[in-house]
Amino acid sequence: MAHYDAIIIGGGHNGLVSAAVLAKAGRKVLVLERRHVLGGAAVTEEIYPGFKYSVCSYVVSLLRPEIIRELQLPRFGLEILPLDCSFLPLPDGRSLARWGDAERTRAEVSKFSARDAERASQFGHAMVRMGQLVRPILKMVPPSPGSMNPSQLLDLLQLGRRFQGLGPEGLALATKMMTMSAADFLDEWFESEALKAPMSVSGIIGTFQGVRSPGTAYVLLHHYMGEIDGAYRSWGFAKGGTGAISNAIADSARHFGAEIRTEAPIGRVRIEGGKATGVILENGDEIAANVVVSGVDPHRTFLGLVGEEHLDPDLVKRIRRFKMRGSSGKVNLALDRAPSFTCRPGDGPHIRGDIAIAPSIDYLERAYDQAKYGEFSTRPYLNVVIPSLTDPSVAPPGKHVMSCFVQYAPYRIKEGPEHWPEKREAFGDTVVDTLEEYIPDIRDIILHRQVLSPWDLEQEFGLTEGNIFHGELSLEQLFFLRPTADWSRYRTPVRHLWMCGSGTHPGGGIMGAPGWLAAREMLRAGGV
Amino acid sequence: MSEKVIVIGGGHNGLTAAATLARHGRSVVLLEKRSGLGGLAAPFEIADGYRVPGLLHDTDRFRPAVARALELHQHGLQWRETPRTELGLSAKGRGVLLSSNREAMAQELQQHSPSDVQPYHRLMTFLDSIRHIVEDLFDSPPPAPAKRELGEAIKMLKKGWAFRRLGAETMIEVLRIAPMCIADWLNEHFESAHLKALLASPALLGTWMGPWSAGSTTTWLLDELTRGRAVAGGPAALVDSLRRCAEAAGVEIRTGCPVRHLQLENGRVRGVELESGETIETASVLATTDAQTTFLELIRPADLGVEFAERIANVRSRGLVAKVHLALSGPLENTTRPGSFERMRTGEHVDDLERAFDAVKYRQISERPILDVWVPSLEDSSLAPKGHHVVSILAQFAPYDLEGGWTDAARVTLGDRVVDTLAEYAPGLKKRIVARQVLSPADLEGELGLTGGHLYHGEHALDQLAFLRPVFDCAHYRTPIEGLIVGGSSCHPGGGLTGVPGWLAAKAL
Repeated sequence: MAHYDAIIIGGGHNGLVSAAVLAKAGRKVLVLERRHVLGGAAVTEEIYPGFKYSVCSYVVSLLRPEIIRELQLPRFGLEILPLDCSFLPLPDGRSLARWGDAERTRAEVSKFSARDAERASQFGHAMVRMGQLVRPILKMVPPSPGSMNPSQLLDLLQLGRRFQGLGPEGLALATKMMTMSAADFLDEWFESEALKAPMSVSGIIGTFQGVRSPGTAYVLLHHYMGEIDGAYRSWGFAKGGTGAISNAIADSARHFGAEIRTEAPIGRVRIEGGKATGVILENGDEIAANVVVSGVDPHRTFLGLVGEEHLDPDLVKRIRRFKMRGSSGKVNLALDRAPSFTCRPGDGPHIRGDIAIAPSIDYLERAYDQAKYGEFSTRPYLNVVIPSLTDPSVAPPGKHVMSCFVQYAPYRIKEGPEHWPEKREAFGDTVVDTLEEYIPDIRDIILHRQVLSPWDLEQEFGLTEGNIFHGELSLEQLFFLRPTADWSRYRTPVRHLWMCGSGTHPGGGIMGAPGWLAAREMLRAGGV
Repeated sequence: MSEKVIVIGGGHNGLTAAATLARHGRSVVLLEKRSGLGGLAAPFEIADGYRVPGLLHDTDRFRPAVARALELHQHGLQWRETPRTELGLSAKGRGVLLSSNREAMAQELQQHSPSDVQPYHRLMTFLDSIRHIVEDLFDSPPPAPAKRELGEAIKMLKKGWAFRRLGAETMIEVLRIAPMCIADWLNEHFESAHLKALLASPALLGTWMGPWSAGSTTTWLLDELTRGRAVAGGPAALVDSLRRCAEAAGVEIRTGCPVRHLQLENGRVRGVELESGETIETASVLATTDAQTTFLELIRPADLGVEFAERIANVRSRGLVAKVHLALSGPLENTTRPGSFERMRTGEHVDDLERAFDAVKYRQISERPILDVWVPSLEDSSLAPKGHHVVSILAQFAPYDLEGGWTDAARVTLGDRVVDTLAEYAPGLKKRIVARQVLSPADLEGELGLTGGHLYHGEHALDQLAFLRPVFDCAHYRTPIEGLIVGGSSCHPGGGLTGVPGWLAAKAL
């Protein structure tokens, strides 16, 4: 029987990063992916002939530069095409385009508010300062405040000193950032809705919170911390779609000697004498390994692959209360031609970035209120990209793909999540109706429509409750509390079983940091 | 030494501060704008012959440490010995009778939802284990985490050590729940929807949050863990004892005496100019007005740093609680349970609270407001003519910035919604209403000088508490203006009838 140093469960981008790091360190590694394609939620698929959808995740910014460097990803085909514009069409015919170039943005913003245009750069500086505070945290294995371990205590002390070093004003700003709502936080800086609304949405993406919910200002920062080649705040597409990122990481892993199998669904982690000794596939095959590393979410890892019988009931309780609560869906469209917005007709650089349907704070909050009571938003927040304008390789000549991230689509609709399949097309219609208010002929140019509800994200991609981040990014589920206080350092109560997915610190997004930190911690601790 | 101190504001914090200073030998003049003392704790007339003993309901958060320090029992303060009870009104069924007596509470739950009895005991045990930490934070000035001083570092380490001594599990649990929303946290414990709604309600007073808002667990803990015995006679009796104490210590109290502004010279306090034109010279002023009133109204803009002024302007104090007072020709009967209840509350599901809150986000009055109902005339029959009663209602939510403004029609709408909601549980109510008084947040601002009509002088929120209340550079009662101390509910530990901000500010002086 084959024997590996490590088996990675799940060929998502974090699992692949872990595999590559371990393989590079000379370990014999096997990655097992349930689906026929690699990448998990970071995949490109040709659902409709000639059109390559970035089915789930669609933009990248958080991917850690050290991972790109160490795993030599450009050599394996990774190419990021930066997005230069964030475009906000408004129903009243106005619009706001924010550009990479600060002067150009200032001119656009000043159409709405001269004061806001002046303050934008001040705000940017404050965010960069906060980003610098948080960035080292993304690189560390979370120390537990309850630990008596000297190295963890030292980490805590250093963290404390870092906050103290901010001085009173910086500390006040950091606290505001961590605890305020995105809307309140932005209110302190800006007056114009056209600026605040599209900015505030970074605070809610992937969470079951509204822009007026306390705690969302932090997630705003999470989205500000993105960097491509060291430049703050830049977002980009991967050439060839998001799956190209996963493929580059996979090729890097293979290059370093990892073995990767697709269509290899796992039934259970094999546990003998309280230790993980390998995996049992759904077809009954058993594969032995010194360690098993789970890249799937905490619910699925503990309650599915391990099984409650191997766990302390208290841990089971903690995992059950770890909030998943998927809140978003995805609609991918194949278009006959490029769309034209009423407020700024025709082609142009403004539609080559991301396009936000987020006309006001109240609009966004109303969308959330519906979700709270178990309905999808009749006028949702949309984040739209048309990657084929920048990367023609993903659609036939002259045709386009349009990717719409849609929020809110609560997993727990009031009829029950299993009723999502009956609602799926109505949900898709809502998205098209919303788009139609800005692109009147959108219906005429749609060749194909793929609708993914949170239920579909769970069924198809194994994301529990359709949560795109493997668990909400709320304060009580971050850092040393992710996924639970005792097991936030990639270890689990089952010896030789580790975690490396987005359900661990520092969380979701195409960041690669959980996979990276987990693999390095395993190597450091002599776990593998 | 008998340097004169001017205390601005004769609310319970102003009285506490004045009494504390005077007992320390200072010569104190207290200036109150209104004709009577007490602010939110002062009796309020509804109609001829009918009054309520205070705009805020709860006196059980007044800190025993303050009462002891001022020896208020010698000035008439008496604690109520009976446990606090509150009936959760239910349209069908017996509702839930909350009680501060744990045995009574356990018995009630045994009837109402037996599976919640054990979780209730577990929760109480948990609260007991952390109570001393919260009380200590509450009764002392906030920590100054960014200050690089040995003394401060030692204080922080002491507090940190006390926190660690809770044990890793409890400590981490506190860190975990603090940023959570109260709905989620209560869901982890209890099954009964009605019980959860009743327990969640107090988390929202003084905030701008619904039960699904993150951080409401912290405001809940602050409220719950600082409750003790109530003052016999309610807020008015508390104010009386504070006044007597202040007078006995020699405080000169001047009511009907609004301050126009502070006179400064080179960034130092030099005197106080009254609306009457009179000027009082002094080098020390302790202001218990809210932060925005103190800095943005009583001080000329030119005397304030631009950045500081902006920080103060950014303090969130969006009032969203209205007061509705009813004078009744008979008792307030309810269909939930036989008998008369001094305290009652509506809201049978956490979502009822959340829906009520949703409205204010869009600058609307809740369709079905959540009511905290008090019938003070059951304890003190002198508040109404014989056989008659008064009802004081804190109604949530009604936004200060109501769309269209607070017109008379808007007040009527608010009053009708409150009465209609209460009448669902008290069918005979409407026939008995002799007089009705509606105080919107705008009215509270006008009447009491509360910025935004906010009852707590600024919202309780994680970024507006402790060393950030009201803003970081005057969170320790001293302000950038030499000689000016702040000590109202705008300061740590915040709003409610606690007496602590005034007491700690006086001690800081």
